Amino acid sequence: MQTKLTRLLGIRYPVIQGGMAWIADASLASAVSNAGGLGIISAMNAGADFVREEIRKCRAMTDKPFGVNIMLLSPHVEEVAQMVAEEKVPVVTTGAGNPLRFVKLWKEAGTRILPVVASTALAKMVERAGVDAVIAEGGESGGHVGDLTTMALVPQVVDAVHIPVVAAGGIGDGRGVVAAFALGACGVQMGTRFLVAKECTVSDAYKKKVLAAKDISTMVTGRRLGHPVRAIKNSYMNAYAKLEADSNVPDEELEKFGVGSLRKAAKDGNAEEGCFLAGQIAGMVSREQTAAEIVSEVMEQAEAMMEGVKWDV
Amino acid sequence: MTTLEKLKEILCECKGEDIDITPETNFDELEFDSLDKVDIVMQIEEAYDISLGENLQLSTVGELIAKIDEAVANK
Repeated sequence: MQTKLTRLLGIRYPVIQGGMAWIADASLASAVSNAGGLGIISAMNAGADFVREEIRKCRAMTDKPFGVNIMLLSPHVEEVAQMVAEEKVPVVTTGAGNPLRFVKLWKEAGTRILPVVASTALAKMVERAGVDAVIAEGGESGGHVGDLTTMALVPQVVDAVHIPVVAAGGIGDGRGVVAAFALGACGVQMGTRFLVAKECTVSDAYKKKVLAAKDISTMVTGRRLGHPVRAIKNSYMNAYAKLEADSNVPDEELEKFGVGSLRKAAKDGNAEEGCFLAGQIAGMVSREQTAAEIVSEVMEQAEAMMEGVKWDV
Repeated sequence: MTTLEKLKEILCECKGEDIDITPETNFDELEFDSLDKVDIVMQIEEAYDISLGENLQLSTVGELIAKIDEAVANK
């Protein structure tokens, strides 16, 4: 299926895999790219050498386009930004801020730039800087979230900019893809659905939690520190919420409490102390499949729903 | 309208209520989140048809006014 996004990125289906920290590695990214979507490697807080290694592993496993998600608050962001330009990574998605200072560097490397945005002002600002498209992510998503929902954010971003818009947050099947198109997007980004892909190397405990989740299984914490995060309810999240609500607990203690919790979930599979980031659609994810099965199931469902309808995507 | 008045209008609109600001007001006191700040900068840039640069740090209202006036003068 061709849309502005598939033409922009040279991919078969308008599906981007979310850049999930500690999870989105070369194994998952290459599998999604081989399936016709755009696989993403998460640079998270890692140094350039670690990410370069993943890029090279990914290249060994796929000849299709893939991308790297760069977390702009990473302490290693400068060296990682430079490295992805050197490696001529086909696509970069960015999170947690404004990538203006890297746009020239990446454009010169021929890298397509798709920042994740949570407001129209940020979308307009990055458009002006010359990025190729934006990913409008609503608060239904897992991980760091904004206040606006996908339903409200996507059409407003579509109206605010002239570049292609990808919808993210709360999309887990073909219905979500069609809804995204109806809101004016020309593609989707999915994270949670790919968490349970067979090629996803996340801990078994993580996959089990996502598979067992229902609609109301996620919650948001971290608003007090200015970086709210959506994850599956467990003892860690409940304890965090309690500390957060207690005004006697200083911010520093709260900050310290969260350190290492992502790794504990993704790598160690620590069901009590880990922070299991997942979106609200976790309740719709009910079985492990290969990335190729996920992409083709989602797209077949979307295409069947759109049959006979004229869409401008 | 002075730059301070225009800025007050933008900040009040973003806050959803009337707030008192003076050149000495620090942005930390105003407790805007990161998306608010992007919105404020974008509104200023569009209102004055200027660019405030990529590494803008919001400290005090007075310093921001000086940056706006400088950018307007250099247009």
